[in-house]
Amino acid sequence: MGFFVTSLIFLLVGVIAAIFVRLCCNRGPSTNLLHLTLVITAIICCWMMWAIVYLAQLKPLIVPILNEGD
Amino acid sequence: MSTDHRSGGGCCPPMDLMRSEPMQLVQAIIPIESSHQTVSYLGDLGLIQFKDLNADKSPFQRTYANQIKRCGEMARKLRFFRDQMTKASVFPSALTVAHPNVNFDDLEAKLCELETELLEVNSNNGKLQRTYSELLEYVLVLQKAGEFFYTAQDSATAQHRQNEENIYSDGSIEKPLLDQEMFIDHSKQVKLGFVSGLVPKGKSMAFERILFRATRGNMFLKQAAVEDLVTDPVSGEEVAMIVFVVFYSGERAKTKILKICDAFGANRYPFTEDVGRQKQMIDEVSGKIKELKVTIDAGLQHRDNLLKTISCQFEQWNLLVRKEKSVYHTLNMLSLDVSKKCLVAEGWSPISASTQVQNVLQKAAKDSNSQVGSIFQVLNTNAPPPTYFQTNKFTSAFQEIVDAYGVARYQEANPGVFTIVTFPFLFAVMFGDWGHGICLLLTTLYFIIREKKLSTQKLGDITEMIFGGRYVILMMAISSIYTGFIYNEFFSVPFELFGKSAYACSDSSCSDAYTEGLVKVRPAYSFGVDPEWHGSRSELPFLNSLKMKMSILLGVAQMNLGIILSYFNGSFFRNNLNIWYQFVPQLIFLNSLFGYLSLLIIVKWCTGSKADLYHVMIYMFLSPTDDLGENQLFDGQKNLQMVLLLLALVSVPWMLLPKPLILKKQHEERHQSQAYAMLQSSDDGALGIEPNHASNDHEEFEFSEIFVHQLIHTIEFVLGAVSNTASYLRLWALSLAHSELSTVFYEKVLILAWGYNNIIILAIGIVVFICATIGVLLVMETLSAFLHALRLHWVEFQNKFYEGDGYKFVPFSFALLTEEEE
Repeated sequence: MGFFVTSLIFLLVGVIAAIFVRLCCNRGPSTNLLHLTLVITAIICCWMMWAIVYLAQLKPLIVPILNEGD
Repeated sequence: MSTDHRSGGGCCPPMDLMRSEPMQLVQAIIPIESSHQTVSYLGDLGLIQFKDLNADKSPFQRTYANQIKRCGEMARKLRFFRDQMTKASVFPSALTVAHPNVNFDDLEAKLCELETELLEVNSNNGKLQRTYSELLEYVLVLQKAGEFFYTAQDSATAQHRQNEENIYSDGSIEKPLLDQEMFIDHSKQVKLGFVSGLVPKGKSMAFERILFRATRGNMFLKQAAVEDLVTDPVSGEEVAMIVFVVFYSGERAKTKILKICDAFGANRYPFTEDVGRQKQMIDEVSGKIKELKVTIDAGLQHRDNLLKTISCQFEQWNLLVRKEKSVYHTLNMLSLDVSKKCLVAEGWSPISASTQVQNVLQKAAKDSNSQVGSIFQVLNTNAPPPTYFQTNKFTSAFQEIVDAYGVARYQEANPGVFTIVTFPFLFAVMFGDWGHGICLLLTTLYFIIREKKLSTQKLGDITEMIFGGRYVILMMAISSIYTGFIYNEFFSVPFELFGKSAYACSDSSCSDAYTEGLVKVRPAYSFGVDPEWHGSRSELPFLNSLKMKMSILLGVAQMNLGIILSYFNGSFFRNNLNIWYQFVPQLIFLNSLFGYLSLLIIVKWCTGSKADLYHVMIYMFLSPTDDLGENQLFDGQKNLQMVLLLLALVSVPWMLLPKPLILKKQHEERHQSQAYAMLQSSDDGALGIEPNHASNDHEEFEFSEIFVHQLIHTIEFVLGAVSNTASYLRLWALSLAHSELSTVFYEKVLILAWGYNNIIILAIGIVVFICATIGVLLVMETLSAFLHALRLHWVEFQNKFYEGDGYKFVPFSFALLTEEEE
């Protein structure tokens, strides 16, 4: 899977989570905004983490060299 | 100025928790007859923080000092009851919900009555107990001293007989005359007196010495240790004792000895030489002891019954007394009206609660049959209102993390909102292992599931802390499970969960794999770190480079978030100066240096370039015009670098100079206009002057002070941009330490033990592995990752926007009263 496809999945998960939170704990506009902020922050954090690790392995300058003991 | 802040949200509704609740200073004029009722209803509501209007008065000068004293006295009695109950191991029954209304005065009378009764019972019991232990001692003395006399008499008669035999067997001339004289004296001999009693074992040596000196040796002390501990009648303590009998001659010696006995706390008991009398006395005393025992038991029973009746209602009384005390304490903070018919209350209250407060005032006036109702009005003030966040059980622990650094200034952007996600996330970056994450999750789930039960009972210090932060730990656990999947570590073991590894041997013999390495045959591993890296010789260089760059990227992102929040503060408080001369240059400065570094990192990854980023960054400053050569990552990089460098250089004076100069100009303008004519005073609120500047007529404006302040702020930001970015490298270090430690425990303990093919060694290995995992990785590493995440939030994130110089809203509330247990 490519970078953009997976990013799209993250986006999708984020949207679903936001809708889910909106439907399940609807407690007025102020609280909903807080929930939305939390979901967006969480998704961005998770996506960043994944994207960093994925990009770092995209064109590696070094490759795994097996240990003699293995 | 303070009223038009609320609309600051703009397009969206105001976010919960982002800004503290809008507050107002309210005044209530309460008729004196309904004041007690009103305050106690307000305590039930718990939404007003009363201001002390009698701050100049000492506690004794206040209106309700007397009632407070009464409450204190009642609380003392209750404490006395509690002590007595713990001594008698009677425990107060849990608070019953449906308690009948107890009158304060009745309760006072009742407590007084109960106290006297209890004291009387106690003193009677004490007296009886004392007599009882005295009698016990007496028995001891009778027994031990009886033994002395018996043995003494035995040996005396034996000697006597021997002497007599001597006399009669050889009535020779050689027999000394003196001897005979002695025997003749026998009948004239002075009768020796004696004193018997008990003395504590520790003092017995000194006692003997003093006796010897005082009587110049003219005494004879006989002593015997008592095997068991004896209850001292005076102190009631169990001590080791010695029974003694002192023989003396003469009245003077007797008085001396008695005095010494008193000084040593020796209990004296009468004793007779007569063996028959002794027996009789022992019998007599034993009978008395039996009788006393019965009486004492009955007394104790009576006391226990009394304490049990107290224990039934103890908690209720305790609560009532504490409520009353807090009510009078609050009433003391209100000021008495001139007419002495009303009390005036002032306090902070959330604007949203004003209808509730008014309803309570009306209800109290009705319930207390007052003829006039209370008057409620909002006051205008320039004083900074308290900060009040409405948190729930989930958000409160996160808010406490923020509050531990500093309570937010009234209505400033609350970092707590983002802390809910970013704090567990940064923790998890350092604690990425989904095996450990699951362990944490199970621990915290235990606390969350038993939440209702645990919240009522008393916990130990550490358990209490874990329980308080259970939702923080829950988020931390979930995040570390996620980052564990990213790092592909389950107790440091990788799994090929998300597709196949991107690397494989170059040929079937796989001989190159140990020298040249594997070959990339597929696109990059789709989720997380490729499992093939684990255990390879190039694992550390790869992970180091990855985690170091990741730390910088995450750090720059979080610092940018902090700076953006300072924009929200600026726009909320309509402070354009802060937006244009602080937020904008700060954003430019940070991103032209470290934003650019982040860009370079990403470009390097995407292109697979071998450029040296250190070199690029360093020579961007040292010789920006030089050609980049092989370190060039993209076209036009040199020009971009020069532009960015220029922007960074420009943004420093931009941060430093304009703000203080503009403030000075504004001040001078205002000063001039005031000098010429009395203009409309506070129309210029929108210009973005600090709130305390806008209203005050005789404000102090010290240009040098403001300039120095701005200078410090600028230096802090510029140096901080570098040092804070470096500080985020702790993410790399801690995460590396965690994964290395868990690898060591797994390979050097578990796998090593496995290799012996011996079940005992394996069992020991598993035990050691579990202990090391729990002790080092789950406890110590959690703690250190927690502390580092805390620091990154408090310092690196919050110093970009957070003032944190507010004070907390502490309402007068009965609910808070029960929490602060003594």
